Amino acid sequence: MLKRISVSQYLAYLFLIALCIVWAVPVLFGIATSFRSESEVVTSGFRLLPAQWIFDNYTNILQNTSTAPILRWLGNSLFIAVTHTFLVIVVISITGYGYSRMNFKGRDTLFFTLLGISFFPGVVNLIPSYKIIDALGWVNTAWAMIIPGLAGMGNIFLVRQFMKGIPNELDESARVDGAGDFRIYASVILPLIKPVLIVCGLFSFVGSWNDFLWPVIVYTDVDKMPVTAGLLLLQDIYGNYRMIGQLMGSAILAMIPTFLLFFFAQKHFLQSINLNSGIKG
Amino acid sequence: MNKKVFTLYLFVGPHLILFAVFIFLPTIFGIYASFTHWNLMNNPVWAGLDNYKTILFDSGSTFHTQFLNGLKNTFIFVVLSVPLLIVIPLLIAVALEHKKVKFKGVIQSILYIPGLISVSAAALIWLLIFNKQLGITGNVFGSTVAWPANQPYAWIIILVLSVWGGVGGNMIIYRASINGVAQDLYEAAAIDGAGPLRKFISVTLPSIRFPLIYTFVMTTAASFNVFAQPLMMTKGGPRQSTQVLMMDIRQLAFGSGESIAGMASAMAVLLGLVILVISALQYYVMNRNAS
Repeated sequence: MLKRISVSQYLAYLFLIALCIVWAVPVLFGIATSFRSESEVVTSGFRLLPAQWIFDNYTNILQNTSTAPILRWLGNSLFIAVTHTFLVIVVISITGYGYSRMNFKGRDTLFFTLLGISFFPGVVNLIPSYKIIDALGWVNTAWAMIIPGLAGMGNIFLVRQFMKGIPNELDESARVDGAGDFRIYASVILPLIKPVLIVCGLFSFVGSWNDFLWPVIVYTDVDKMPVTAGLLLLQDIYGNYRMIGQLMGSAILAMIPTFLLFFFAQKHFLQSINLNSGIKG
Repeated sequence: MNKKVFTLYLFVGPHLILFAVFIFLPTIFGIYASFTHWNLMNNPVWAGLDNYKTILFDSGSTFHTQFLNGLKNTFIFVVLSVPLLIVIPLLIAVALEHKKVKFKGVIQSILYIPGLISVSAAALIWLLIFNKQLGITGNVFGSTVAWPANQPYAWIIILVLSVWGGVGGNMIIYRASINGVAQDLYEAAAIDGAGPLRKFISVTLPSIRFPLIYTFVMTTAASFNVFAQPLMMTKGGPRQSTQVLMMDIRQLAFGSGESIAGMASAMAVLLGLVILVISALQYYVMNRNAS
C-alpha cells in the first residue's frame, strides 16, 4: 500500500514537472532571444542563452515609431483595456442591481430572454457589428473596442447571482431610513459585491488586452491599433530571421501588463472560477 | 413619468440600449444579410436562398469548395483540440490534488500564465521554437522540417499553441470540483478495495460530471471559433489545409477586393447553426447519460 502511494506520487511529479518545463521554456527562450545581438543570430551556432546579453533589440524597437510603433500600441491597448474594465464594472453593477433588486413586471422573463439571445453564436453578428461601428464613426478609434463588449450578459449574470446571496433585510432597513435606490446601490450593495466585481474586472481587462479577431477587423490605421493587432504586422516587418531579437522583444513587451496583473492579483484569478463553477456546476 | 419608473430606466436602461445595439440588432441583421447580396457599402439586395444554395450545393462555385474546406478544417481542429483541452487539464488537476504533491501554487501558476498571453504574442514565440534554423526543435531535437509549411506538422504547432494557452481555465474548474468531492466516498471505495484508478473512475468522474459537461460544451463552442492560431502560425497553409472557416468569413467580408458580406454572412449563420446544434446535442446526450 505504501509503495503504491509513492508510485502515484512519483507519476504525479513526473507529469507536472514535464509539463512545467514545456510550459515555461518558450517564454524563457523568447526572453533570451530578445537579448541576443543580430550578429550572434546570423553567425554563431545555436545556444540556449545569448553569448552576450545586449539591449539593442529593445532600443531598436522603441525607436521604430513609423511602421511598428510598439509604445503607441501598448498605450492604445492600455487605454482600451482600462477604460473598458472601468465601464464594465459600472454597467454590470448597475444592471445587476436592476435585475435582482428592483421590482418590475416581467423582470426575470426579460433577463432570461436577453441571456438566451446572448447565447446565440457571436460569429453571426460579427459583420453587422462592423457596419454599426462604421456608422457610429468608430472605425480606427478606441471606442470600437471599449463599448460593444459592455453589452455582454455573462458578467451581469454572475453579479445578479452574487447579489441574490445578499439578504434583503439590509436594503429594507436602509429604505426605512429613507434611502432611495441609488443610496442603497452605492452604500449598501456596492461594497458587498466587491469580490465578484474584482473578478469580472480582471477577466474583462485580460479579455480586452488579448482580443485579436475584432481588432484585426476594425483597425487599419497603424497608429490607432492595439498591440495584439500590431503583432500580426510584425511578422512582415521583422520577418527576416536576423531581426528575430526585435520580434521577440516586441512579443515580450506585449506580455508584461497581463503578467504584472497576474502577479498582483493571483489569488483572484485562481479563486475566481470557483465562483463560476460553484454556480454552474 | 413617475420617479420609480424613471429610476428603473436608469438602472436597466443603459445596458438594454447597449444590448439592442451591439447584440440584438447585429444578430438579426446578420441573419437577414445572409439572404442578400451585400458589399458592406450599399444597401443589401434581397437574394432569397441564393447564398445558401451556392455554398451548400453549387459544386462549380469557389464559395462551395472554400466553405467545405473551411468547415472540414474547423472540424479537424475541434476534434483534435477539445479532447486535449479536457483530458490534460483533468490530469493536471488530479495530479495537483494528490495529497503528497508540494509546490501546488507555483506549478498551477506556471501552467495558468500562458492563458494570459495574447495569441499573437504567444504565436511569435512558438514560431521561434519551431523555427528550423533558430529554434529548439531544429537544434535540440534535430528536426529538419519547416513545421508551418508541412502536414501534419502545421496542425501540430497550431494544437501545441492552443493547448499551451488553453488549459488554465478548465484546470482551475476541475481542481475546485475535485477538491469538493466528499472524502467519505473515497474512504468507502477504499474499504471496497478500490485502487487509485478505480477511485478516479467510479468516484471522482461521476462526482464532477456537471463541471465536465459544462466545460465540454463551452470548450467545443470556443474551438469552433478558432481563428488566431492558424492565422498566426500557418496563414492557412500549406495549400489551404489549415484554412479555417472564420478565416474565410473574415476574408470574404473584410479582405482586399470587393466585400462579399452577404455570402460571408451566410457562412457565419451556417457556422453558428453548427455550434448551436452541437452544443445542444452534447448537452442532451451527456446530461441524459449522467443522470
